[in-house]
Amino acid sequence: MSLITKILPTSNVFLDLDVGSKKRVFEHVGIVFENSHGIARSVIFDSLFAREKLGSTGLGQGVAIPHGRIKGLKEATGAFVRLKEPIPFDAPDSKPVSLIFVLLVPANATDLHLQILSELAQLFSDKQLREELNTLPEPHLVWERIANWLPYGADFA
Amino acid sequence: MPNILILGAGRVGTSVAEQLVRENYSVTIVDDNPHNLQPLADKLDLRTVQGHAANPLTLAGAGAADADLLLAVTPSDELNMVACKIAQTLFNIPTRLGRIRDQDLLARPELFNDDGFAIDHIITPAQIVTDLLARLVECPEALQVLDFAQGRAKMVAVRVEAGAHMDGKDLATLAQYLDKIDCRVVSIYRKNKRISPDGGTTLSVGDEVFFLAASKDIRAVIGQLRANERAIKRITICGGGNVGYRLAMALENDYQVKIIEINRERAQWLAEHLPNALILRGEATDENLLDNEQIDRCDLFLAITSDDEDNIMSSLLAKQMGARKVVAIINRSRYVDLLQGGKIDVAISPAQATIGALLAHVRQGDIVAVHSLRRGEAEAIELIAHGDKNNSRVIGRRVEEIKLPQGANLAALIRGDKVIMAHHDTVIENEDHVIVFIDNKQHIRAIEQLFAVKIGFF
Repeated sequence: MSLITKILPTSNVFLDLDVGSKKRVFEHVGIVFENSHGIARSVIFDSLFAREKLGSTGLGQGVAIPHGRIKGLKEATGAFVRLKEPIPFDAPDSKPVSLIFVLLVPANATDLHLQILSELAQLFSDKQLREELNTLPEPHLVWERIANWLPYGADFA
Repeated sequence: MPNILILGAGRVGTSVAEQLVRENYSVTIVDDNPHNLQPLADKLDLRTVQGHAANPLTLAGAGAADADLLLAVTPSDELNMVACKIAQTLFNIPTRLGRIRDQDLLARPELFNDDGFAIDHIITPAQIVTDLLARLVECPEALQVLDFAQGRAKMVAVRVEAGAHMDGKDLATLAQYLDKIDCRVVSIYRKNKRISPDGGTTLSVGDEVFFLAASKDIRAVIGQLRANERAIKRITICGGGNVGYRLAMALENDYQVKIIEINRERAQWLAEHLPNALILRGEATDENLLDNEQIDRCDLFLAITSDDEDNIMSSLLAKQMGARKVVAIINRSRYVDLLQGGKIDVAISPAQATIGALLAHVRQGDIVAVHSLRRGEAEAIELIAHGDKNNSRVIGRRVEEIKLPQGANLAALIRGDKVIMAHHDTVIENEDHVIVFIDNKQHIRAIEQLFAVKIGFF
């Protein structure tokens, strides 16, 4: 199983969220993780915003991977959000973003989190996968598609 | 780009809105007076909303729920405070800046924490202008003096004077003259045209030289660019308002300070509160008063009443009557352009001085300070570099390896307590404060992107 499926609970896939800004996305995931992990939503919100101030986490091609270190979090966790309308994200290609994977890691995060991030970057670099994630109708289908995705060259491994 | 919500379309609100629109931010501005909004809507690409700044419906309509930053700069302290609290409670706007003028409120900072009125950064233009004037008094031959890293380093603009050591010499000679003192000339303006400095650049009389050095070395560098450095003793301040009072308080023990104030009660109040300053009641443009007070022996004349025309006329008059150096506060920025560098030695626009303090919080990156230079054409920025060689484009690299945009100059680093002038082989480290001079504001975005951490930064 990939690192990504380990950190993405099936319940953390949100499709066609109708919000118009980065701020509202962060508020939404703040509430999600407050409920699932008991960490104050403001802690999550502030951490994501502070990271974004130092440099955008937009990847390009309509994808962003906002991430932050969270005090009190024991293991990395994530949420996938597909937006109804793309929003500005200050991405390197200046394209607005509609596919967002939020990654939260413990305060003393190690190399493992860089591995997760690089796996996410690989996943989203797959054009066909991006197209499917943009159109699949149900959250569980999106989750399965992410779970079954294989990195290039891994098919025969 | 971030969404910025500005409350109050006064001088500060308007100038900051203009600047941010030019930098492609998405800006909404709220004011209860349609006459303040109309000119902005006519000439700028922004959204204007007419309404009360502390009304939840107005704020909702102005997009508060999507705003990344709130700037409350209405004329009322109370309104700014309440608006920031509403922005926090109802709209969760992550960063809130508010203008507060009242000394008695400023004396109780606990009012502004998250449980109080929730203002993250307080802006007090009178204090910013006072500090700016105080630095000019310390460095009287300068046109502009900027502080970096809590005063450890300064950037100074001076005009090369006839008879100065450096007149007709190149910058390599300056390094020889200064011997062990390290200083960095970041820009030279000759007849309003920028010259990009290198070792072979020859200075001549009238050149406006911007240099950076550790604060303790500033005097020595100025000494090479000016002919005779005479210390300031006598200071006349016209206008005993907020700035005049603050400034006199800071100066009255070290200088002979006179204040000219027109209002009888205010003059009385000043006399009671400033035991070592001489308070004169009268008009700043009164020739006889200036003559009686021996204005020809005055080293520094500061015209800082609330009236632009009075400030312009009184400083011109004082200069003509023999005051050594005259400084005027001029609110209308068009006037500043007209007058600076002529008979008035230094013209200061309070809005221009304040805008930097606001921009520092708006811009992307960990920015400590932004200073507008040359009427907003150029800028000096202090920012903190974060990351490591893998997730930063600057850390672990030599200055010569860093791809700065044309016209940008990486002037110095502050590492802990040490001020390090940037040489071609200086290597940037994590947490260094980096001072960058930008000759053209169009390149700010490129600087932001250069210093932004890459995606792999946690």
